Amino acid sequence: MKADQTVTLNLPATADYVDIVRLNLYGIASKMGFSYEDIEDMKVAVSEACNNSVLYAYGQEGGLVEVVFGVTREELTITVKDEGVSFSLPGNEPSDTAPTLHDKDLHDVEIGGLGFYLMQALMDDVNVASESGKGTQVVLTKRLTRSEEKV
Amino acid sequence: MTTNKNDKFNARTVSEEGKNTVYLSGELDLSVAPDFRLVMEPLVGDSKVDLAINLKELKYIDSTGIGILLSILKARHSVNASFSVEEVPTQIQKLFDMTGIAKFFEPQENSQ
Repeated sequence: MKADQTVTLNLPATADYVDIVRLNLYGIASKMGFSYEDIEDMKVAVSEACNNSVLYAYGQEGGLVEVVFGVTREELTITVKDEGVSFSLPGNEPSDTAPTLHDKDLHDVEIGGLGFYLMQALMDDVNVASESGKGTQVVLTKRLTRSEEKV
Repeated sequence: MTTNKNDKFNARTVSEEGKNTVYLSGELDLSVAPDFRLVMEPLVGDSKVDLAINLKELKYIDSTGIGILLSILKARHSVNASFSVEEVPTQIQKLFDMTGIAKFFEPQENSQ
């Protein structure tokens, strides 16, 4: 769906700026009328998308992350885009069998890979487009629930 | 940018006889993960003393933070020592349940 209005942030791809994305998300999502719980869910999901760019996109020289909030009456889409090396780490690909710890023993647990799982679990739609040499784009969508809409 | 990290995240250790409790406040994310690891490292290695973290004032945790908790769980488990979480806020408990880490923590009677 084409966004009626967009807000774009361009940030250095460092961990120090991810909280700025959360603050902006909070402002936009509460203005749209999302519930507290939905906003908390989106905060986690969008931070995980940013973490991936911060951790995997660029080397020592650094780079930028672009975050676009697309606002419509029905939904909020958040696009997180970098121009770094595309990431396809084992266990990091979105799939129906994203790794969780539910059926594992503590010895078998591997640290990592939970970020993508959380994005998928917390958003209505997650779309990852990654092209070699052109970076990675993650599009997260959350729909406004009618029953919680303000009258 | 120089963020004042103490405003953003804080970990305060209270040592009683036989137990260390680390009180976390603010947001535990990628940017403060190294600080959190540094606080926990000496406590994790002390297998004679129980270890707990209190999350009552923690506003936010990401997968990096959950990953650190997992590595602490593994380290404590390997030396047969306890590690528990206390007063987990609802939103954070939801993430613990979703990821499946919840089942590795010892049950706490005072969790919310």
